[in-house]
Amino acid sequence: MKPVDLHHGSASEVGHVRKINEDSFLVAPPVFVVADGMGGHSGGDVASRIVVEEFARLAEEGYDPQRGAEVVAETLSRAQVRILQYAEAQRGTHPRWHAGTTCVAAVLVEDQQHTLWMLVNLGDSRIYRFNDGTLDQVSVDHSVVQELIEAGEITPEEAAVHPERHVITRALGSPEGVAPDFFLLPLAAAERLLLCSDGISGMIEDAVIEDILERIHDPRDAADALVQAALDAGGRDNATAVVVDVVGLVHDDSYDSERQLASLEDKLGARP
Amino acid sequence: MTEDAARTRTFAAGDWYAVVGEQVTALIPADARARVAGLWDLADSGATFEAVLDGLVAGGLSGLSGFALVGHGDRTRVLVRGDVTATFHTPSGEVAVAHETDLLWTERTLDGVTGGRISVGATSEQSDLALVAGVARASAVQFGEAGAASAPVEPTQPEPEPTPEPEPEPTPELTPEPEEPAQAPLTFGAPSGDDPTPTGEQPAVDHDGQTTIGTPVQEFERPQIGIPGQEVAPAVVARPVAKLVFSTGDVVDVDRVILVGRAPEARRFASSDQPHLVTVPSPHHEISSTHLEIRPGAGADHGMAVVTDMGSTNGTVLVQPGLPPEDLQAGIAVSLIPGAILDLGDGVTIQTTNA
Repeated sequence: MKPVDLHHGSASEVGHVRKINEDSFLVAPPVFVVADGMGGHSGGDVASRIVVEEFARLAEEGYDPQRGAEVVAETLSRAQVRILQYAEAQRGTHPRWHAGTTCVAAVLVEDQQHTLWMLVNLGDSRIYRFNDGTLDQVSVDHSVVQELIEAGEITPEEAAVHPERHVITRALGSPEGVAPDFFLLPLAAAERLLLCSDGISGMIEDAVIEDILERIHDPRDAADALVQAALDAGGRDNATAVVVDVVGLVHDDSYDSERQLASLEDKLGARP
Repeated sequence: MTEDAARTRTFAAGDWYAVVGEQVTALIPADARARVAGLWDLADSGATFEAVLDGLVAGGLSGLSGFALVGHGDRTRVLVRGDVTATFHTPSGEVAVAHETDLLWTERTLDGVTGGRISVGATSEQSDLALVAGVARASAVQFGEAGAASAPVEPTQPEPEPTPEPEPEPTPELTPEPEEPAQAPLTFGAPSGDDPTPTGEQPAVDHDGQTTIGTPVQEFERPQIGIPGQEVAPAVVARPVAKLVFSTGDVVDVDRVILVGRAPEARRFASSDQPHLVTVPSPHHEISSTHLEIRPGAGADHGMAVVTDMGSTNGTVLVQPGLPPEDLQAGIAVSLIPGAILDLGDGVTIQTTNA
C-alpha cells in the first residue's frame, strides 16, 4: 500500500451524568475505531473494548488492503463471537445479562488504482467527513428514528427529540447477527474524517461540529474541542471523538459532491 | 421545602403516568404515553422546570387533555391543565390549584411549600407507594409533608381492610402495567446511585440510560428496495452480463455494481457486494466525482447491463446502435444494447460489448 501520511487526534470523556465510560476507541494508523458500549459496568465497556482489541490486531498483524471489506467483516465477526461468548459466560450468574456495542471504523484499503477509505458502521455512532469547509455525515444510523425518517414519518428535527431516539436496530452483541454498512471514499473526498459516539452527535448540532472542524486545524485540538463542546452542552452521555486528517494530498479544490447532490435534487426534485 | 421533603414522593396506582425527577414531578394522561419516555429522559437528567415543560408541550398542546407539572426549588412552580387537582401546604395554609376554564393552563408560583399532592380529578386514593425517581402508572402523587387536607402517608387511621401492599419498596423497582411493552425504552431506578450493574432488570435497556438496543419497532413499514413488484437487482452476478471498454484503455466486466467518475465513492453496501470503482481522468472537470452507475439488470433487464446517471453536473450522452444520441435522465436507469456508447465528457467514452 502506498504510504499515506495521516495525522490524528482523539478524546473521550465519561460526561457529567454517567458513572463509567463505556466508549472505547482505537487510533492505530491506518485503522481507526469508535465503539459505544451498552449494558452497564463490565458489560458495555467490555463489549466496546473487545471490538477495539480485534481492530488493533488488524493494525498490528497487517491485512490485505485489496480485501478491505472482507477483512473488516471478518474482524467484526470475530468481535461478535467474543461478545456473545462473554455474554454467555455472564448469563451463568445473571440470567438476563445483556451487552452490546456500536462500531464505526475507518481503514485504509486499495482498489485496482487507488488508496481509499473503507468505512464501516453498525449502530448510531457516526462517521462524518469534512471537505472544503463542509461537513457531511457519511454513515447512516441504524436506529429506529433513522428508519422513521427514511419512511417519511418524521423529520430529522423531530428525530432529535423523539422518545426512541436512543434505540438502535443493529449492534455487535445483538443475537440477530451482524449486518454492517460499508462505504468507500477516495482520500481526496475525505481530507478530514470524524468518528464519534452519540455522546457527541447527540449533544451538539452538526453546525457546531462543522465550525470546530473548520476552525481548529490540529486534529488533537479538534478532538478535544468536540468532546469539550459535548460536555458544555450537558454531557449526558459518554463522549468520544477521533479526528483523522489525510495530509500531503494534492488539493482537488473542485471536489463537487455537494454540487452534484444539488444538481440531482434539481433534476429529481429530491435528494437520493 | 427541604431537600428530603422534595425527594420523598409517594403515589397511588392509576391510569396516568407519574414522572418523577430530581427537580420536577409531573402527572401525564394515559393517552399521552408517547411523551412519557422523552419526559423521563429530561427529568432523569436533572432538567429544570422550563426544560421539562418544553419537552412536554413539544408535541403540541391540543393533543394534551390535561397534565400537572410541579417544579421543586426555592420556590415551587406549578402548572395545571385539565381535570387535575393540586394542593400545597404553605405557611399561610392550604393552597389549591385547579385549571380555570378559558385559560390554556393555570400557573402558580408558591413560597415556603412544605408538601403537596397532585391527583387526577378529585381521587382520594391513598398514595402509599414510594417513588424516589422514575415513571409509574399513577392517579396521584404526593410529595413532602402530608398536610391535614390530604391523605396521610402513615396508616394512622384504623382501616377495616389493609392495603394489599403493606411494605412499600424503598427503591422504585416499579413494574409497569402489563400492557406496557417490554421494549419501551424507559429506564427505571435511581440513576444517581452506584455504578449500574448488569442485573438485567430490563433487557435491551442500557443502564447508562441512553443508547439502547431494541428489536426494531414493527409498527412502520420498512422502505422497500427497488420497484414494488419487481425483482430486486442482484448486487453481484456469477457471470458478467457485459463488458465495458473505456477510452482510457480499462476493460471492466459488469458482474457487480460499477461506479464511474473522477473520484467515485460508494455508499452503504454489504461486504459481499463491494462495488467496483473506476476512476477516469477529467482535466476540465466535465466529469463528476461519481458520474455513472452501471450494474447487471434485473427483471425485464435480466442479462443486460443497466446504466444510471448519478446526477452528474454535465450529464451523459448515450448512443445506442441505430438510434439518435440521447441525454441520460439523472436517476433513471436505461438498459444498454451491445455496441452502446456512453460519453461522459472530457473525451472519456465507454463502449458496451458482449461479455
